[in-house]
Amino acid sequence: MRHYEIIFIVHPDQSEQVPAMIDRYSKMITDSQGTIHRLENWGRRQLAYQIDKVHKAHYILMNVECEQPVLDELTHNFRFNDAVLRHLIIRRDSAITEPSPLAKEVDKRHHTYEERPAPVQMQPEVASEATVSEPSTEGDA
Amino acid sequence: MHYHRRKKICYFSANNVEEIDFKDIELLKKFITETGKIVPSRITGTCAKYQRQLTNAIKVARFLSLLPYCDAHK
Repeated sequence: MRHYEIIFIVHPDQSEQVPAMIDRYSKMITDSQGTIHRLENWGRRQLAYQIDKVHKAHYILMNVECEQPVLDELTHNFRFNDAVLRHLIIRRDSAITEPSPLAKEVDKRHHTYEERPAPVQMQPEVASEATVSEPSTEGDA
Repeated sequence: MHYHRRKKICYFSANNVEEIDFKDIELLKKFITETGKIVPSRITGTCAKYQRQLTNAIKVARFLSLLPYCDAHK
């Protein structure tokens, strides 16, 4: 079996379908003894230029190992699915499992949102700035 | 007389890059102009081996709309 890197871009109006699509495609691969080495959902990203008059779209990256017939079926699916704006399949020499730079970027974005209150909560232990920072946390909340 | 020119170093050889990833758009952005053109290796100092990989990576990223082809996109 060969290693492939699959990227497909989904129309933003069809974003709700994305989890179902990922499930369907993963099932197609695993059912034929293939393996999925990396699966990344980059979420809705700003496009560098518009495609079909759309400015934002949903990106999905998969690194898989599968047979040719499965790959053919996948490409056929991508081609005739109107929700898929663009797809790209690249043959790779080996399984790639570490997160891609873009996935890290998505991660960081989440972390900044989630962890923003954390440092403020830590500050009261520093004593000197405790009185200043405490009211501000309540204000933010 | 000749003024001193700083020797340009290939970013990728200096960092022992195995393969240039088209998904690393923050890195690729450093090798395109503000109009979206690929910067020639004689300017950046990238060696031939990596310049070939770089052009490929940028072109794939453009296809996926991760990078612009030019600045005139509507």
